[in-house]
Amino acid sequence: MTAMKVAVSTLVMTGLVLLVADGGTSVPWIPPDDRIADTQDTEPLTAWPVTAGDDKEIVDEYCVRCHSDRRLRGNLSLEGFDPDHPEADWATAEKMVVKLRAGMMPPPGVRRPAGDTLVQLVESLERRLDAAAARTPRPGGRTFQRLNRAEYAASVEELLGIEIDGAAFLPPDTKSDNFDNIADVQMLSPTLLDAYLNAAAEISRLAVGDPEATPSETTYTVSGYASQSERVEGAPVGTRGGISVVHNFPADGEYVFSVSFHHTTTGAGFAGQLARGQRLEVSIDGERVALMEVDSWLSYDDPWEIWMWTDPVTIQAGPHRVTAAFLKTSEGPPDDLLSPHDWSIADRHTGMAGYGLTLLPHLRDLVIEGPERVMGVSEHPLRKRIFTCRPTSPADEIPCARSILSELAEAAYRRPVTPRDMDGLMGFYRDGAAEGGFEMGIRTALQAILASPHFIFRFERPAAAADAGSESPAGPESRSRFLAVGAAGSDAPLVYPISDHALASRLSYFLWATPPDDELRRLADSGRLGQPAVLEEQVHRMLADPRSEALGTRFAAQWLRLQDLEKVHPDSYWFPDFHQQLGDAMRRETELFFTELVRRDGSVFDLYDADYTYLNERLAEHYGIEGVVGDDFRRVRYPDDRRRGLLGHGSIMTLTSHADRTSPELRGKWVMEVLMGTPPPPPPPGVPDLEETEAASEGRTLTTRERMEQHRANPTCNSCHRFIDPIGLALDGFDVTGRWRIREHGNPLDTRGELYDGTPIDSPAALVDALLRRPEPLLRTFTQNLMAYALGRRVEHYDQPTVREIVRQAASEDYRMSAFIRGVVTSDAFRMQQVDVTMPQDRTP
Amino acid sequence: MNFLSGTHVPRRTFLRGMGATVALPFLDAMVPAGRMAGGDAVSSDPTRLVAIELVHGAAGCNEWGATQNLWDPAEVGRSFDLTPSALSPLEPWRDYLTIVSNTDVRMAEAFEAHEIGGDHFRSSAVFLTQSHPKQTRGSDVYVGTSLDQIHAQRFGQDTPIPSMQLCIEPVDQSGGCAYGYSCVYTDTISWASPTEPLPMIRDPRTVFDLLFGAGGTPEARARRRRTNSSILDWITGEVAHLKRELGANDTERLERYLDNVREIERRIQGVEARNESGDVRALPGAPAGVPDSFEEHMRLMFDLQALAFASDMTRVFSFKTGRDASGRVYPASGTDRPFHPASHHGGREEAILDFHKINRYHVSMLPYFLERLQSLDEGGTDLLEKTLIVFGSPMADGNLHNHRRCPFVLLGRGNGALEGNVHLKAPDGTPMANVMLTLLHNLGVDDLDSFGDSTGEFSLTVPSSMTSAG
Repeated sequence: MTAMKVAVSTLVMTGLVLLVADGGTSVPWIPPDDRIADTQDTEPLTAWPVTAGDDKEIVDEYCVRCHSDRRLRGNLSLEGFDPDHPEADWATAEKMVVKLRAGMMPPPGVRRPAGDTLVQLVESLERRLDAAAARTPRPGGRTFQRLNRAEYAASVEELLGIEIDGAAFLPPDTKSDNFDNIADVQMLSPTLLDAYLNAAAEISRLAVGDPEATPSETTYTVSGYASQSERVEGAPVGTRGGISVVHNFPADGEYVFSVSFHHTTTGAGFAGQLARGQRLEVSIDGERVALMEVDSWLSYDDPWEIWMWTDPVTIQAGPHRVTAAFLKTSEGPPDDLLSPHDWSIADRHTGMAGYGLTLLPHLRDLVIEGPERVMGVSEHPLRKRIFTCRPTSPADEIPCARSILSELAEAAYRRPVTPRDMDGLMGFYRDGAAEGGFEMGIRTALQAILASPHFIFRFERPAAAADAGSESPAGPESRSRFLAVGAAGSDAPLVYPISDHALASRLSYFLWATPPDDELRRLADSGRLGQPAVLEEQVHRMLADPRSEALGTRFAAQWLRLQDLEKVHPDSYWFPDFHQQLGDAMRRETELFFTELVRRDGSVFDLYDADYTYLNERLAEHYGIEGVVGDDFRRVRYPDDRRRGLLGHGSIMTLTSHADRTSPELRGKWVMEVLMGTPPPPPPPGVPDLEETEAASEGRTLTTRERMEQHRANPTCNSCHRFIDPIGLALDGFDVTGRWRIREHGNPLDTRGELYDGTPIDSPAALVDALLRRPEPLLRTFTQNLMAYALGRRVEHYDQPTVREIVRQAASEDYRMSAFIRGVVTSDAFRMQQVDVTMPQDRTP
Repeated sequence: MNFLSGTHVPRRTFLRGMGATVALPFLDAMVPAGRMAGGDAVSSDPTRLVAIELVHGAAGCNEWGATQNLWDPAEVGRSFDLTPSALSPLEPWRDYLTIVSNTDVRMAEAFEAHEIGGDHFRSSAVFLTQSHPKQTRGSDVYVGTSLDQIHAQRFGQDTPIPSMQLCIEPVDQSGGCAYGYSCVYTDTISWASPTEPLPMIRDPRTVFDLLFGAGGTPEARARRRRTNSSILDWITGEVAHLKRELGANDTERLERYLDNVREIERRIQGVEARNESGDVRALPGAPAGVPDSFEEHMRLMFDLQALAFASDMTRVFSFKTGRDASGRVYPASGTDRPFHPASHHGGREEAILDFHKINRYHVSMLPYFLERLQSLDEGGTDLLEKTLIVFGSPMADGNLHNHRRCPFVLLGRGNGALEGNVHLKAPDGTPMANVMLTLLHNLGVDDLDSFGDSTGEFSLTVPSSMTSAG
């Protein structure tokens, strides 16, 4: 608490000093504070300061012509804007900073001031805003987060060692600014509460085992887009297609495995008469338990439709890997009249294509039903993990239960347990034990832990409030203490540092997407986690830990919109080689690229211009890169500069395409929105889409570019599309699936264009070079996304000074990934909370 | 799947019943015997309400499409010809069909310059509220209480679940909401209050579990209910304790959470009370999950709604059949053009007719539901008589994003409120809200003076001139 008090007051002091410097004197004065000194290091002195008044003239002359009260371009008027006090209209000022930094304003074709006038304008705006922020620290605030699907599953796995699918239990998460963990849109509802209750009931039964389990069924579905000719991950070698999952069996007993197959619209299974003798194997932990010959006449019109099922199989409780896959009886592409391809459902309308096309039966569902004839619950790893002690006499039961439950509760609640917590849980233990003995007691209490608000909500208490498990001093007294800190900062919003345990949770869900581990919890217990050196050391340790993979699979995946890959199903006629597994490999490539960048602590610039990526054989073949053998991903250097950084990834190219053609608009929009942070406005209504333009002319199919140019003849469209399209066109060398091409529909491609600033670009490499000439928008957009994900709230205009500060700091560390992450973690926004979360929009200091 | 008798019926039987063709009279097997026999409660039975939303408007609401009668028939009154209309699949059900044409959803229009163009991201929120959504990306969403919720809050309280919200398309796709509108405006059509959007459920399995609870046997379900009750009790105590430690914003959120806790407690008590009254519940196993095909998914959702009505678990549903700006392709509709691009037909006749195929396909899903409801006999009256189905779109011409002369029809007899077999054409400029206000009055919410932007009532009784004409 004391340390934080100092920090806050330092900020206020520096602010005052800067105010003096800013308020009239033209002599640069270098304050002793480190923060400001760094600013000095990285910014040329010549650009500072601008005499008050100059900026106003520039704005009036070059901006207000369009952004006037009358013309109101972009719904913005700058007539009343005072660039000497940009903080008076902070949100607008930050919008200007973004556009100016990107070099997008004034727009192409409109008069611009000479030389570096605009650079000076934006630098002066930034400096004044940063100074205002230093005067009035505003860490921002939000209400508490709840565990979303992904965090819930990860937390359950960390706590109990049980793998579950969050989507099977919880409704989908509402996103805001593309992230699924933004607190203020995490609505609560009875449906949601019911889902958490139900999940707690199910998961506690699966973890402890349920000797009274009654038959139920679980369905695992295989996408119609999945290849049935390749082995799936986890399946035994020598199989192809199908599905492989870890299923949690609640009790020892008999289970039946049913499978169904995809069928054509007329009902026939995809086996057809042509692929006879196909056999499907069901295996448990790699051991065959059933082998079924697929009836090649299966049809939806049959009494049992397209279902087949095994005899009952006796299986012991616990997690087991279940695989249902076809036996692989041939190698290499089938010798078909039509070119072979991987996607076995070529065309759902005419699935029974006839001779010359090999159609393989395509698994749709694997359903596990059971248990029947329950024989009890055998020991298994999940149970061993929970039952850390076993009562040997009735007198042992209570102490043993107490020890098991306090350990579970501490991990689940991410804080020390209080006597009050234990009283509640032991109550549940007694209820359960009275009904069904010791194990049922533990299970019932575990169910309560999993359903409790302490587990599903991430409450963040102020530091010194409820830490170290003592909750008596938590109340009004400590609150008045942190309020006092805020009051000391005059008109500064009321801020307080969050407790060490809250900080531990923020850290671990940010970097690992899991609850804090023992070490973090111990440091929080001892109250040392908040110390800057300890915090930095922990960040270092956590980034080196394999769990930091979550930065790739959770943060980068959402920032880069990888989930949209699921929406695009490249047309099987044009792109017969694309299938689910290839799409998965693409996603994996991008996630791995990011994860490895974090692990190696490489430069953030690698995101944009890396000359390497991570590939397995299938993906390397897709990219036309030789010498990569096997399913494992490894680092591969690109043989040429067609591909560079993220813009060479198949994932990005595919998710920004339509099924049957590339979309320069979507790609341009993606670059502007995701990488540059300058999303183009959506099209106005009544505008026909590209589909309205003719697809063919003079007897030949037009290229996407030609169709686009027709579309762009409309001046309304052109005012935005001249920003968007050239960017996308430069990437048009990648087809719908991210494969390199030089022709489209037989016509040579023309990817030439001019970036909005006039730079000629015609290839991904040229685009990347042009973008990198202005790195600020890229770095700030990355930082801003990282911050939003870390904080669980949208990044607002008053956060921009922090974003700039993080980027400045990172510059002195070669833009290494860790510098950005550390910058976020050590920021006030991450370590503190503002009491008044709904601040008035624009406050004049 | 364990029926109460203990007989194990293979799941395929169930799927078949839920799916395309009716092989087994499965609904009969599942309807609790007590309810089938009991005719005494019938007279006090409130109307069952189902509100179904279409997105993107209809081809018939385009200027040219209207001249071709692609949605509203040319004739008003009883002898209207559905042949050219997307409503033609309802011809066999015309006795249960009330077409109300020429109403506007002006609350979905842009009020301010910055709202222009945001129609797709605002419309769904307007459909059942007839109110203008506040443009925000944050949690300060505001629109209005929806039609289904007004009914549920008044008449849904006797059933274990006051209302349910279903949808067909996934909600977690980025880029699905823009123009500064929160995604919830696009994700749901049901609003418990102007600030409380209700999430919609896509997975039929989840619907099933919510309706009938998890657990293989009635005993197991009862045991789970008991444990949940004591957990909820305990949570209430914990929250009271927590509130002392947390700040104002957090406390407010906890308050809302407590409301949810009470709501679930009430549901559990409702089920318990019902069980004590001697109702026997024999239910099949749950459906597998979300089916691949649109049609199969729609049918499962309709089956579950019929099942919920039959067992009186709930009396109110809202059902969102699509998502704005969705590019879904409906191969069985006869066109391969994706939904949203198809709606932007550019006014070209050929393209309008393509979009029309999708509209007709969507309408063709309804007869299955009507058939289901009609087959459910309750005290000598079938459920189609007691049900009011609202089916429409908050958008009219999807190409222009306009909201005038929107598609809107009513199905079922709504407990005698609707005669059926009529096309009523509203005077120009009539808000759709007027019709909804009248519907709410018919449903028994008679103390409501206005709804959304309503300017008065809209009579649904058929003028005698029309009767004689028909």
